Amino acid sequence: MEDNSILFLKKRFARYYRNEKIELPERFGKREFAFMPFGAKMMRRHLAFSKRSSFISFIQRMTPAHAYYSSAFYQKPDAPTMDEKEWMGAELIFDLDLDHLKGAEGISYEEGLKLVKEEFRKLVEEFLLDDFGFSKNKLLLYFSGGRGYHCHVVDPKVFKLSSSERREIVDYITGADLDEETLFRKRVVEKTKVKGRMLPSVSRLEIPRPSEPGWRGRVGRGLIALLKEVTSEGNNIEHLKRYGINRKDIERLKKELTKERMLRIAEDGVIDQSPFIRRFFLKAAIQKAAISSMAGETDEPVTCDIKRLIRLPSSLHGKTGFKVCRIKIDELEGFEPLRDAIVFSDEKVEVDVAAPLKIRMMEESFNLRKGKQRVPEYLAVFLVARRMAKVI
Amino acid sequence: MRDLKTLARYPFLSEAKEYVKTLNVSVDELLLDLTYEKARIFGVERVENAVQKKNVGERRLLSEADYLAEILSYPVARMIVVCVDDAYFLRKYALGESVHAYLNLRNESADFLAAVGGDIGLSVKVDGDRLYVHFIDYIRYAPTRYRDWKMVNRPLKNGYIVVSRRDFARLLQECLRRRIVEELEERSCSETVQDAFPEELGRFRNMAAMQRKRFEAQPVGRISVTKLPPCMKDILASMQAGENIPHMGRFAFVAFLNALGVNSGEILKLFSTAPDYDEERTRYQVEHVTGRISSTKYAPPGCEKMRTYGLCPRDKMDDICKRVKNPVVYYRLKSKEMRKK
Ligand code: SF4
Repeated sequence: MEDNSILFLKKRFARYYRNEKIELPERFGKREFAFMPFGAKMMRRHLAFSKRSSFISFIQRMTPAHAYYSSAFYQKPDAPTMDEKEWMGAELIFDLDLDHLKGAEGISYEEGLKLVKEEFRKLVEEFLLDDFGFSKNKLLLYFSGGRGYHCHVVDPKVFKLSSSERREIVDYITGADLDEETLFRKRVVEKTKVKGRMLPSVSRLEIPRPSEPGWRGRVGRGLIALLKEVTSEGNNIEHLKRYGINRKDIERLKKELTKERMLRIAEDGVIDQSPFIRRFFLKAAIQKAAISSMAGETDEPVTCDIKRLIRLPSSLHGKTGFKVCRIKIDELEGFEPLRDAIVFSDEKVEVDVAAPLKIRMMEESFNLRKGKQRVPEYLAVFLVARRMAKVI
Repeated sequence: MRDLKTLARYPFLSEAKEYVKTLNVSVDELLLDLTYEKARIFGVERVENAVQKKNVGERRLLSEADYLAEILSYPVARMIVVCVDDAYFLRKYALGESVHAYLNLRNESADFLAAVGGDIGLSVKVDGDRLYVHFIDYIRYAPTRYRDWKMVNRPLKNGYIVVSRRDFARLLQECLRRRIVEELEERSCSETVQDAFPEELGRFRNMAAMQRKRFEAQPVGRISVTKLPPCMKDILASMQAGENIPHMGRFAFVAFLNALGVNSGEILKLFSTAPDYDEERTRYQVEHVTGRISSTKYAPPGCEKMRTYGLCPRDKMDDICKRVKNPVVYYRLKSKEMRKK
């Protein structure tokens, strides 16, 4: 980035950090902090603050492009190595990200954020509240300021969970290792007498009831919803592609999934028509119900990492200028990142836009052409931070 | 108070401990006095059975005096194990005690199980015959490396999982095992025990040493232990110590060996020394990773991933570690270097 772009952003960020009251995480004295200065390549790590005031003056002096803190608490948070820090426990973190969302290739940033928000809502309501039973006030929700949402579980019960125990939670949320035999149970419906003893002769595979707890109910509900989708659209199963079903399988499904068979699933709750149909519905129901956009490096979700650095709430994201902002659970539905995470003014600034672009921010649609023009400050910051424009 | 018979069956209960206190038997008396000879014989048998049969075993108890001896044999066995002073041996003993408890607990009522849980630190809510375990306790104690134990295949609602009495007994087993390991690791050997069981202690120490030797001398397939990277050495060492390796550690280890051409059978042999070895299920897991029963063959995790999982011992990293991104490459490089020399 050119020097004057950096200067431009830094000035705005500095103003924010001067005027805004940064909220600090609970037990911040036991956390590691890390900052990425503007224009730097290396992160400054292993910092700790025992007083709020020293943190405030530090961040005002440095004006970082990115600010992070550890989800873990340490005995000595500023020790240079992990072993010397002495781990005491860590929050449970969920990080959903547009980059990990399946089937979101080629859609716009705004659209993508909407999809992630929907997944995030599912995670919070259906998994964290309903299944895991966390209480609302132990879940802190944030927009990441970039391409996703974070949820921090601050219930002391989870602090000591090891990495592999956290993995078990991730496997639950992603529906990994679901067992077909647990889901579709065999029920004997007829018995015949063989040499004086009653032996099962006819049995059926039943789909789980929608009201059952855990994944059984989830798959049961998913199955019924899928069936409705298939039947309501005049047996049009083309759109099932979105559940990761390929062409060949759709063709086969068209052949095998007859009206009678569908009725039998919907009315009798029996799913022993063909292994193919069963596998299809299972796969699609999991796709529909599981959380798939969990972020992490090399496929390892952030959740399992017990020493992870995450964005500091109410700091600014250096690649967008948006605020990492807290969202109350009841307000998640109406949350609009491109309105509610904006902290800069609408004072006009002149920028040189690199390529034409459409975007909606602060409930206003912008249709930008290539070249010099005047835009509100918040948009200018966004464009410059994302390197889509230069300041003049 | 519960009857003596019950306490004899579950001598780890605090009630059993309380009862022993009321008897006013000193440690010296227990270890030396003729009156308690039977308790000592039973105690030695507990240890022996635990190490050889993975279960401290049942003894024929015919009278009140027998029940008492059985209750007292528990502290005797613990004192002996502490004096053997071997981490692997200790873990085998703890497993033997907890398996014994499990086999009996399977047949107990839900209320009884809940009371045992409350005593050893695993709380549970009871509703008729159903037991509700909080999911945090569940993932801590359940053998989630097996598919049917994975939380995803259990009915979880509002933070609680309903389990059967039998499954709850299995959770109690693991809870008890860890508790015994933790308790005994903190104790140190007293001289009286040393004097009371000179012959037995010698024998047990020999057994422990032999186990260890057999393990160390055995190359893993064609793999030589000296060329293993620090991370894999650590996992192997924990296995030798009879520790339960978390899922990711097992996975990494199997995938690593598999990538170096060790076959499933040889890998299985290695796991067979683990204290909770279960042939059939371990085979399933191993073959799952090596691609024999699943369509995917899993790639061994790289150093970055190992670090994420806390499986890379940073303090033991050496020069070769700094040059590689995957433990498998470490092994190959090390082999090359050793050949050069
Ligand atoms: S650096 Fe890699 S090879 Fe070395 S110990 Fe760590 S994980 Fe193993």
